[in-house]
Amino acid sequence: MAATVILGLGHALPPRLVTSEELAGTLDVGSGTLEARTGIARRYYAGVGVGPSDLALEASAMALDRAGLSAADVDFLIFATMTPDMAFPGSGCLLQDKLGVPPIGALDIRAQCLGFIFGLLIADRFLQTDTYDRVLVAAGEVHSTSLDFSAGGADVTPYFGDGAAVAVLSTANDGRGLVAGVMHSDATEFERFWCEYPASRQHPVRMTLDDLRKRRHYPQIDFDALNPMAERLFPEVITEVLERGGCRKDEIAHFFLHYVDPRIALGTGREMGIPHQRVTATASRAGHIAAAALPIALSEAWGAGSVRRGDLVCLAAVGAGINWGAAIIRL
Amino acid sequence: MLRTGRVRVRGSIAPRDVEKMSSKENLGRTRILGLGHYVPPRVVTNRDLTRLMDTTEEWIEQRTGIRERHFVDRSLGPADLGLLAARDALAAADTDAGELDLILLGTLSPDIDFPASACLLQRGLGTRGMPAFDVRNQCSGFLYGLAIADKFVRSGAARRVLLVGSEVHSSGIDLTTRGREVAVIFGDGAGAAVLGPEQRPGRGILSTHLHAEGKYAKKLWVEPPSSVAAPRIDEDMVSGEGGRLFPKMEGRYVFRHAVTRFPEVIREALAANGLGVADIDLFIPHQANLRISQMVAASLELPEEKMFNNIDRYGNTTAGSVPIALHEALEAKRVTPGALVCLAAFGSGFTWASALIRW
Repeated sequence: MAATVILGLGHALPPRLVTSEELAGTLDVGSGTLEARTGIARRYYAGVGVGPSDLALEASAMALDRAGLSAADVDFLIFATMTPDMAFPGSGCLLQDKLGVPPIGALDIRAQCLGFIFGLLIADRFLQTDTYDRVLVAAGEVHSTSLDFSAGGADVTPYFGDGAAVAVLSTANDGRGLVAGVMHSDATEFERFWCEYPASRQHPVRMTLDDLRKRRHYPQIDFDALNPMAERLFPEVITEVLERGGCRKDEIAHFFLHYVDPRIALGTGREMGIPHQRVTATASRAGHIAAAALPIALSEAWGAGSVRRGDLVCLAAVGAGINWGAAIIRL
Repeated sequence: MLRTGRVRVRGSIAPRDVEKMSSKENLGRTRILGLGHYVPPRVVTNRDLTRLMDTTEEWIEQRTGIRERHFVDRSLGPADLGLLAARDALAAADTDAGELDLILLGTLSPDIDFPASACLLQRGLGTRGMPAFDVRNQCSGFLYGLAIADKFVRSGAARRVLLVGSEVHSSGIDLTTRGREVAVIFGDGAGAAVLGPEQRPGRGILSTHLHAEGKYAKKLWVEPPSSVAAPRIDEDMVSGEGGRLFPKMEGRYVFRHAVTRFPEVIREALAANGLGVADIDLFIPHQANLRISQMVAASLELPEEKMFNNIDRYGNTTAGSVPIALHEALEAKRVTPGALVCLAAFGSGFTWASALIRW
C-alpha cells in the first residue's frame, strides 16, 4: 500500500530579526535576562500588512520547487493557524487565491501548536482514501501583532515569533512516508495556555473596552502548571508513536520537539537518553511559532542537509489545548 | 493536572493499522449514527428587530424567508450550545463521550480566541485524550468537517467521531440600523452528528466535495482580529463607530455566486456517483437565504417538496444550519431508510461543498 510521503518542504521567516537584547529594551527588562529566562535568543517579526497566508505563499514556492511541482498540481490544501489573516474567512481561502489555483478545497483548522501534526494526519487520511492526489499542508503564524509589548508582557511576549512552512504531500511506494502519527487533546486545564478575547461566549458583546484595558486579548501562559505537563507528555507521546510505528528510539535520525519553552524540549531529549546532536528544540531557533515551528525546523534541516532522504525523523509537540501529538516520517 | 496516563489512550491514528486491511476496496463507508440539535430558548422575531433598527417585518421575510431566529440571553458560546446538541446525538448513537476517537467543531464565532472551541466542548463532555480541533470553514464548516470525519472512519483510523456545527452570532452583530443588512440574517444554534462505520451495503456517505475561492474573501467577512493589522485589536475596533468587529457582506455578490456554485457542486456529487437530480429524495441546503435555496432548486429542476427548509424559524446559523436541518428532517420523517440525501453549502470564503448520503 502506498504511503503518504512529503514531496517537498518549504519555509519562510520574515526579514525583521528581533534579538532578545532589542526586546529587553522594549519590554523594559534588564538586558541579558530575556535569553537566560526563555532559552530564545532571536525571533522574526512580519512587517505591517503581512499575514500568515503571505508567509505561507512564500513557503509554498520553496516546497513546490523542491517537489518539482507547480501550484496547479495541488488538488487540496489545509491551513493551520491560530493567528489568521482575518477573523473569517480562513487563511486557507486566501492562500488558495494567492497560489492562483482553481477553486480546490481549502480546509482551515484550529489546533494551536499541534496545527502541523494534526494537518499532516488529516492530509494523510484524504490521501489514503484516494480522495486527493496531492495535498498542500500550510502552517503559518503572525503572533507579533497580538503581543503585549508593555512591561506586563515580559513573561510571555519574548517567546513568540512569526513564520510559516508548507509540506506538499502525495503517496508513493518507494519506502518513504509517514510511519505513524498520534494526536491528543485534553482541555481539562485549557486556561493554562490561552487567550480569552474576543469571545463570542460573552453576552451581549464579544469584547468591551474594559476587556481590552485589562489586557485579556493577549496570550497567557501559566508556565508553573504547563511545564510539568509537557515534561510528562513528551516522553509519553514519543514512546507511543515509536510503538505505533514499530521503531526503536535509536533508529530515529533526528527528533524535532516543539514546546513554547525550548529548554523543556531539550530536557525531554536528555531524560529519554537521546544524544543531544539528534534533538532540535524548535523554539530555540526562532521562538514559538505555534503551528509552524516544527515544519520550519524540518525544512531548514532538509535545506542544510542535516536530514536526508531515507532518514527517519520524529516530530512531537505539546501546546495550547492542551494538545499534544507526534509523527514519525521516513523522508 | 492532566492524568492521561490513567485513561485509555484514544484518538491515535496509526497508518499501519489501516494497512492491515487487505485492500482499498475493503474501505467501508461512514454512517451517521445519531443526530442532535439545540437552539437557545429566546426567540427574536422580525417584529422584535423592528424595535432595534429601521426595518420592517415584510422586508426581512421577503428578502430572506426568515420570520424569527434564536439568540442566547446570557453568556454562552458555541461549545455550550454544541454540548447540548452533542449529548442528544451521542444518546441517539448509543455512544458514550469516552468512546469518541475524534471531536470536530465547525464555527466562525469561536467561544474564545484560543484554544479551539472543540477543546471547550471536549471539557464540557467530561472526556479527554482524543484529539479535538476546530474546522473554520464558515457556512461550509459542517460539510468540511463531514469530509474529515468520513475519511477517518472509512479508512479505519477512527470508529466514533463527534462532529458539531455551532454558532453564537448574536454577540457579534450590529443590531442597529447601520448593521441591518447582515444582522437580520443570523441566528444562534448548534447541530451535532456522531459518525461511525456503516455496516449495510450500499448505504452511508457516498462522497464529499469541497471547494474554496479566496478571491471573494471580502464579500462576506469579519476583519478583526486580524494578525495583519498592528496591533491586532485596538480601542477603535472595540468601541469605535466603525463597527469593525461586525460582519460585512455584499449581499448581491454572495447571492449571485451561491446560485451558481450550489447547483454546480450538487451536480459534481451526483456525477461522481453515477446519479442524477431525479435520484435525490431530499435536498438539505445550508440555510443561508430561502430565496437562494428556491433558485437553486429551480435551477436543478428539483421539486420544492424535495427540499427541506427551516430558515423561517432559525435564520442563518452558518456551520450549525445543515446538522440542525438534517436532524429536524429526520425527526419529521422526511429522511427515510434508503433515501438519497443531498447536503450542500455555500458561504463566506467563498467556500462551498456537497455530500451525498444513502440513508
